[in-house]
Amino acid sequence: MIAFENVSKFYGYNPVLKNITFHIEKGEMAFITGPSGAGKSTLLKLMYMAELPDEGEIIINDDHLSSLNMPQIPLLRRKIGVVFQDFKLLNNVTIFDNVALALHIRRLSAKEVRSLASEALKKVSLRHLADSYPQSLSGGEQQRIAIARAIVGRPLILLADEPTGNLDPDTSLDILTLFQDLNYQGTTILIATHNRELLGKTVKRILKLEGGSFAGEEIG
Amino acid sequence: MSSYPFKSALKSLAKEKWINILSVLTVGSSLLIITLAVFFLYNLGLIANHLPERFSMMAYLKDSLSREETQAIMASLKKRPEIAGVSYISREEALLELKQALRDSSHLLEGLDENPLTPSIELKLRKEFVTPSTTSRISEELMKIPGIDSIYYGERTAEAIDLLKQSVQNISLIIFATISLGVVFVTYSTVKILFYRKKDEIEILKLLGATGGFIRAPFVIEGGIIGLLGGILGILGAFVFYFAVTYRLSMLIPMLKTLLFPVGVLIALPFVGLILGVIGSTIAIGRIRL
Repeated sequence: MIAFENVSKFYGYNPVLKNITFHIEKGEMAFITGPSGAGKSTLLKLMYMAELPDEGEIIINDDHLSSLNMPQIPLLRRKIGVVFQDFKLLNNVTIFDNVALALHIRRLSAKEVRSLASEALKKVSLRHLADSYPQSLSGGEQQRIAIARAIVGRPLILLADEPTGNLDPDTSLDILTLFQDLNYQGTTILIATHNRELLGKTVKRILKLEGGSFAGEEIG
Repeated sequence: MSSYPFKSALKSLAKEKWINILSVLTVGSSLLIITLAVFFLYNLGLIANHLPERFSMMAYLKDSLSREETQAIMASLKKRPEIAGVSYISREEALLELKQALRDSSHLLEGLDENPLTPSIELKLRKEFVTPSTTSRISEELMKIPGIDSIYYGERTAEAIDLLKQSVQNISLIIFATISLGVVFVTYSTVKILFYRKKDEIEILKLLGATGGFIRAPFVIEGGIIGLLGGILGILGAFVFYFAVTYRLSMLIPMLKTLLFPVGVLIALPFVGLILGVIGSTIAIGRIRL
């Protein structure tokens, strides 16, 4: 489902990722870990083409990203749900509209949008906050809204960048449980985190990054 | 089509109301200027179009022509496509006209023993042939007809009529093009500002899988609505102007009552605004890099 073949990325002359190769199978849930600046976020950005690699090839669901043209990029991004580190919620619209936005982009009918957005909010147990605005919610709630928006379009792959950063241990565990549930339902999940506590609570594959290089993997 | 782009555009219009109101006012006044210019030029054009109807050429005939020969010349002239009508003016009629024209100075003619004038044919041309080049060509051709002694026509008049018509057309085009560019620029600037203000939102839309068209649509709709509302405002302004001119000012200057308002322009105004707004906003957004 996800394949990196000798991928490198430079910012100027500074290498951020060096010769990264790994494969994630369909339906798998894996973690990428490493200290801050190890290149975890960049690695995720390469998958949804917010960044482009300088060397190597990335394959997502049989799509060779280097051969995609501009009109195909949105279609790729709709296959991938992303939970951004800074949530990237729109503060001037309601929670419901934030989640519904991902469906409007897919040009679904108003009826489908209503039903799927409500369902996604229910999955993250926040349907009662549908009419609230993001800024009135706690960090954990905003995180869950970001997850609801990422999963509402039923993506094949879910990427999460530090989804438990700044969250208390109980909320972090709730979110991990939510990811595991989604994984049981068949979504391929890749989570970038440096939260060791979180890694200790799961038995999944952990890919280690250090200084932009692949530093081995283990089962958590 | 999803209603999302329309809702998004309407929300943005309401949220950024001040900049949008200012844009609508600017577009409205620009379109009003176009309308007033059209109003003025339309009436000038009407006058210019009627002038050729008064234009005529005089073909002076040789004295020796018989009645049959004169009728034959008139019949051949009537067949020409440029000529709308011909009328014969006898020597006597010509003298009478001259006397009437001289009126108080008619004593000048008292010493004349015989009528020195020649019979003539007055030729009215079809409107489209009243141009300097055509009148000169017709004159040359008529001179070749045996029996015609000389041709007189107001060369300068033909030139002036032609120049007036051309000028009205050119000025209309220049005013329309200049002000249209202004309207495009106003919507361009407004939409560009709104686009920059929503840069973060656009970034999020891209990452969620929005296409360039999806991102662009609300801005183009917003630009179109600004143009449309500006057009409607222009109509209101034009009505106020028209009634002020024809009702109030015409009391002082009665001639103004005869002015006509081109209603087609009024109907077209919102559509012109809409199209210019769409053009301005489309240019403002340009190509979106995903």
